[in-house]
Parts: sequence; structure tokens; C-alpha cells
Amino acid sequence: MDLVLTQIFNGLQYGLLLFLAASGLTLILGIMGVINLSHGSFYMLGAYLSLTLTSLTGDIFLSLALGIPIAFAFGAAIEWLFIRHLYERDHLQQVLLTFGLILVFNEVQRILWGTFPHSVPIPSYLSGSVKLFGLMSYPNYRIAVAGLCVALALAMMFVIQRTKIGRMIRAGESNREMVEVLGIDTRLLFRFVFAAGVTLAAAGGIIAAPIESVYPGIGESVLITSLVVVVIGGIGSVRGAFVGALLIGLADAFGKVFLPEFATGLVYALMAAVLVARPGGLFGRA
Amino acid sequence: MLQRPSALVAIVLTALVVAALLVPFVGGSYAIKFTTRVLVLAIFVISLDFLIGITGLVSFGHAMFFGLGAYSLYFISPQAEAANALVAFPAAILGAGVAAAIIGAFCVLTRGFYFIMVTLAFGQMLFSLFYTSRIAGGSDGAYINVKPEVALFGVTILDFDRRTAFYYFCLAALVLVYLGALALARTPFGRVLQAIRRNEQRVGALGVNTYTHKLLSFVLAGAIAGFAGVLFATIDGYVTPDLFGWRQSGVAIMMVVLGGVGTLFGPILGALLYSAIEEVLKTGSWVGPIANHWSLGLGLILIAAVLAWPRGVAGLFETHAPPAPPGRDQPSGDLQAERPQRGKALAVEGLTRAFGGLVAVNDVSLKLAPNLVHGVIGPNGAGKTTFINVLTGALKPTAGRIRLDDEDISGRTPYAIARCGLGRSYQRTNIFLPFTVRENCLIAAHARHPSPFRLRAGKFAREEEREIVHALAATGLSARADARASHLSHGEQRQLEIAMLLASGARLLILDEPLGGMGAEETGRVTALLRALSVNHTVVLIEHDMDAIFAAADTLTVLVEGKLLAHGKPEDIRRDPAVREAYLGRWGQEIVR
Repeated sequence: MDLVLTQIFNGLQYGLLLFLAASGLTLILGIMGVINLSHGSFYMLGAYLSLTLTSLTGDIFLSLALGIPIAFAFGAAIEWLFIRHLYERDHLQQVLLTFGLILVFNEVQRILWGTFPHSVPIPSYLSGSVKLFGLMSYPNYRIAVAGLCVALALAMMFVIQRTKIGRMIRAGESNREMVEVLGIDTRLLFRFVFAAGVTLAAAGGIIAAPIESVYPGIGESVLITSLVVVVIGGIGSVRGAFVGALLIGLADAFGKVFLPEFATGLVYALMAAVLVARPGGLFGRA
Repeated sequence: MLQRPSALVAIVLTALVVAALLVPFVGGSYAIKFTTRVLVLAIFVISLDFLIGITGLVSFGHAMFFGLGAYSLYFISPQAEAANALVAFPAAILGAGVAAAIIGAFCVLTRGFYFIMVTLAFGQMLFSLFYTSRIAGGSDGAYINVKPEVALFGVTILDFDRRTAFYYFCLAALVLVYLGALALARTPFGRVLQAIRRNEQRVGALGVNTYTHKLLSFVLAGAIAGFAGVLFATIDGYVTPDLFGWRQSGVAIMMVVLGGVGTLFGPILGALLYSAIEEVLKTGSWVGPIANHWSLGLGLILIAAVLAWPRGVAGLFETHAPPAPPGRDQPSGDLQAERPQRGKALAVEGLTRAFGGLVAVNDVSLKLAPNLVHGVIGPNGAGKTTFINVLTGALKPTAGRIRLDDEDISGRTPYAIARCGLGRSYQRTNIFLPFTVRENCLIAAHARHPSPFRLRAGKFAREEEREIVHALAATGLSARADARASHLSHGEQRQLEIAMLLASGARLLILDEPLGGMGAEETGRVTALLRALSVNHTVVLIEHDMDAIFAAADTLTVLVEGKLLAHGKPEDIRRDPAVREAYLGRWGQEIVR
């Protein structure tokens, strides 16, 4: 019982982190029509920002506050430099260019931070664990991470539901062509969506750093898993990404304990099963 | 459509082969090993280009078959003896092919981005299976202690322990795989695959089962990738789960795109260029201390290549054929036919199609006699397009029956219905734009005998040629046969749609607004053509142009809000009070006039 509860918590917390990466990926794909393989690199960027900023400021939350504007500016710059050339290109060229970006980002990371794994300290005031339901103890910091993810998700929901740019995003979510027809300045919208997606992924990397260690290639497993989440949820659907991320988080957490040999395979099997039942993903248009 | 390589490309390729033949004489063992790798990777990426560039299936998991081929050699090789390549290689090809059939049966159901993701997922599943389990050394990989040899009756003919022997074997294999893939792409089967890449829906509507075609292509590509995999394992005598991984698949896509998608020779250049760049950047004595960061340079070069050469290296060899001269001849229709053929009759009973609560087609019963022109009219939103989508199988009927002559076709797939002799054109022009007029008709003609195993035009060649010539003459496109469809005027494109239906052998033609967007002169020509076609065909016409449809049609069917309002001769419809009432206002005026 104890183990099951712990895995539920681990799964939800991992799922929430995944959602941060996957929500940006699904919007970039759904609204901008770009397959962004370099999305995992932005998670990696977050993890290494966390490493550097925490050693400078001494606190993970200060790192987050500093890291978010850095990531947003970085995302906007990448969109301007590279991604905007891809809007009229086919999937293959998008895959090629963003794959090239992965190679570049990985190498820049090696030059700046080296190849050894690092760890980021958990702040002292969150170092203990708390007893939940009188049954199990659970680390404070992980609970804080889950809470932060929920806060970020709510902030995103607010932007999408209540602001003008959010209305454009929703319009694009349901019909990409319509946005262009309506005469919305797609250049601005796309740059914002891309930068916001980068920021969300980087924020995930920043707050996850004290839980996982920070190592080269950290972004790639996040990328592949996020792509799976996007497919399960349906392209362009933020709600789908949320449900998909929690499903994958739980499947992964339970798989690791009960089917350790096939934990990774389980995630893909889940995706294959969803696609058989609903070829457009859970919340996608078929 | 894929042509034989131009003289320039043939010269370049021949020069490359000659250079490759000389490598063992001028280079050391390292040069031989490097070139062997390039040759093997080239085989691998040609198979991927057959999938991506010919069939239009962008697989991000193609390395799984490469990995399976490599691991087959490990499983087959005895501990301390050489495996016989005559057993091991076919086993690897077969194993990868069978795996591709099983995995592909599922993957090919999906399209576009989902196909990319599902193939990626299967690749990663196999990767994690070999990585986390203890099969063949798990994540550490495993060694193949003795390299295979080609032995017949116990006599060793080729020992792959000798680098040069293996090198020439791989070179020969590459040449054969390239020529084989090129020949295959130019068979009727290969042409249909190319058409599927351009416009799958259209190929299906012509009567081709696109699923089996795509699956077969997936299996073939998988088997060739397996062959490349077993060769790759022979180079180093070592297998690792990374061979399955998404990076391996990704690099293969890089090579294809860098070289030129859909050219089959481009990937060879891509593999060579990619490996050469990687090698140069890695070599410290050439580039100095940045050799440690070679993938930075590689990434930048890839990005620059995408932005600068979207068509890959092969794009540099492209020659632009001058556009075909404009020409115009009168459509002859079916009038030149020696003996008239009977069109097919269509009968629907109680046909209904609902979308949730909205009933777009509501209990329509109708009989359309053969060899007449039948018009279907109705105001916007009357359910005309839904009606033909149900007739042609694009939508399943909610209730009711559809009969073509005596055959019940209700609920069948579009391609099965098309094979019964029902051809359709679309409201929006739906042709293969990059192909020439003749090639468009050729694809349609192939659909008469659409077996995926048709590798030669063979006994159908003359029949198909006759049908194409007839279809072009009938629609007045003979002079434009060699023009690209994308260079045609709008009216000519609409005529080409009709020509494709004729070439496909359809006996009942459903034309959705064939006059849309045409000027008065073109409208007159095409109306005359439709009349002429009814000598050999039954024609069902959906049109907004009232003058034209009243002039062309033998019977008229009026749909309003999904229901059949009236059916009869044009003059009766013109007088029908119910129709007048439904068409009050502008429409009513036009009809009354």
C-alpha cells in the first residue's frame, strides 16, 4: 500500500514535470506546425541554468525567477534565428534542422559545463519529508515541485483562457488556417508561442534539477517522452497533453517498480494502444 | 515522377564507382574501413529514401530494422566459428522483413506526423528491449567473434575477415541495391507508390488499395535495411543497442535529406558527404583543437544545408525541362469509339447519412439509368457533396443501400467501390500536380489492374496505352500530354480529372462541379464533352451553373435539406411547383426563365 501510494505520488509529480515540456511542444506543433526535436534541449538548458544560477544565488527559487526571463529571451532568439524559416517547409526539413540544433546545443553544453554529472542542492528549508495520510513519508521538495508545476499550469491556463493572445492560441488550436485568414500577425503569435514553450520546458528543467542529477543528454529522454505525450493527448491539445503527461508519469512510475525490464517499453506500448483506439490521440481531431 | 538519372548524374555516379574500386589500391586499411562504412550506410539510407521519397512514409524508426539485421548475425554466428553468409544474410533480410510486416501492419494505419511518431515509438521499444534486458549483452552490446564467410559445399569462397574482399562485396551490393530500387520505382507498382506520396486520397479513389501498397513498401525497405544491418555488424564484429536508437534513425534521415529526397542516388551522396564531414571534423590534425567538438560543426553544417539547399545535393544536378508548348485541340468525347459500351446504372434506396443530430442526406431513393447525363442540383447545404461522398465510399451510409448495376456497394471502402467501375472527380481539383498529364493518366490506367505485385507493364501495356491515348483525345489534352499538371490552366486541370477517370476504366462518372471557375467558352466545350461521354458512360453531374446543367442533363435530381425533392426530365423540373417554391428568389427566377 505504502509502495503504491508512493508510486502514485512519484508518477503524478513526474507527469506534471513532463506536462511542462509537452505543453510547449504540442502548441508549437499544433499552432505553428513545426516538429521541434530540439525541445528537449530547452529542458536541458533549464537544468544547467539551475546548476549555474543556484551556485551563484544559493537558492533554487531565485534561479527559477532569473531563469524564466533568460529562457524566454533565448526561445525568442532561436525562433528568430532558425525556426521562422521552417513554417513553409515540410516535416522532413523541420526534423533535419532541429536535429542539427540538438547537436549544436549538446556540444555547447559540453563546452560550457563539461561531461560530468552534477547535482543541485535542495534548499535547506525544504530538505525534510512530510508524513502523508499517516502512511508514508514524502520529500518536501517533491511536493513543492508538484505545487509549482500546478501553479505554472494554472498560469498557462489563465493566459490561454483570459487574454487576447490566448484567444489567438485557442483559435489556432482548433484551426490553424483560420488564424492566418483572420489577419492575425502570426509572426508575433508564433514567436510568443515558441518562446513560451521554451520557457515552460526550461522551468521544468530548473525545478527538476535537484531531484534528478544534471547530466549531458538529459534533454533527449524528455524529448522522446514528451513527443509520446503529445501523440497520446492529440496534437495541439493542451488538455490532452495534461492527461497524457499524467498517464505517462503513472505508467512510468509503476513500470519501474513492477516491470523494471520493460518500463521504457511500457510507455511506448501505451501510446501504441491509444493510437489504435483513437488515431488522433485522446483529445485530438482524428 | 522519378526518371532515369540524367547523363550528368550517371557520369558522377560512374566516377564514384570507379573511385571506390580504386580505394583499396591507394588507401590503407583505415580508408577501406571508412569507405566500407559509407557503402553500407548508403544501402541503409537508399532503403529509407524508398520509404520517404518514393512512398512518402517518413519513418523515424527505420534503424530498428538495421539493428535487427545486425543482431541476427550475432544470433546466428556460432561462438568460435564463422557463420555462412549465404545463410546469415538471407536470414537477416528475412527477419527484418518479417518484423517490418508485423510492425508496419500497425504503423501504416497512421499518417503524417503520427506515422513519424509511431515508427519512432516502435524503434524505441526495440531499443529499450535490447538495452534493459540481458539479451546479447544488454546495454554493453556484444561481439561477433568470427566474421562470416561465403561458403558453398564446405569450400570458402569469400572470407569477410579479409577487408578487401568484404569491401568489394559491399560495393557490389550497393550498386545492385541502387539499380534495383531505381528499377522498382519505375514499375507500375513503384509509380503507384510515387502517386501515393503525392496524393493518397486520389490514388485510393481511382481504385488502388493504398494500405497494401504502403505496407509492401515498408516491408521491402525494412528488409533492405536488415541487409545493411548485417553488413554493418560484419564491419566491426560488434553489435550495440544504439543501432536501434532514434539517433541512428535520425542520422539516416539527415543523410537522405542532405543528399536529396526521392532521387535514390541522392542518399548515396548524402551518406558520403555526412560521413566525410564527420570524419574531417573529428580529425585533430586537420582542424586542430576543435576536433573535440566536431558535432558542433556538424550541427551547424546541417542547419546551413537545410536553409541553403532545401532539395539536397541532388538538387544541384537538377535540370529544368522547358515547359511544354501550349496547345489546344477539340475534345472528341467518346464519339470516336468503334462500338459504344454500356455505362453502369446506379440505384439508391433509403440512403441516409447523419452527423450526430444533423441529417445531411435523408432517406433518398433514386434510380439513374445507364448512358445518360444525370444532374444533381440543390441550394448550398442541400447535402449534394455528402451525397456523393456516401456514394463513393468516402463516408459510410448511416442507413440505406447503394447498387451499381446489380452489385451492392454500400459501406465498401472507396478503392473497392472504384474498382466496381465508379469514378469520381472532386470539387477542388485533385490531381498529381508534379506529374505530367500523361503520367497522371498512367497512374489512373494502372488502377485497372492494381495488384501491388505488378512489376512489369507486361500484358496490360498495350491496353493501358490505348486507354491513355483515348482519354487524352476524348478530353482534348493530346497536345498537352507532356506538360506538367501544375503548369496547366484551371480549365485544363478539370479536363485532366475527367481524362483520369476515363483512363481508369470507370463506367459511371460522378463529377463534382466540373465547370466550377470556368469561363463561358470553356464551359461550352466541357458541356459538349460531358454529352459526348454518355455514349460510353453514365455521367452524374453536380453543378451550380444552372444554364449549363439544364442544357447538359437528361434527368435532374433536386436535393433540398438532404431530402429528395424532385426527380425527372429537365423540362418537368422547370415546371415543378415544389421546386419553384424551394428555389424562390434568384434561383427560382433562373429556373422559371
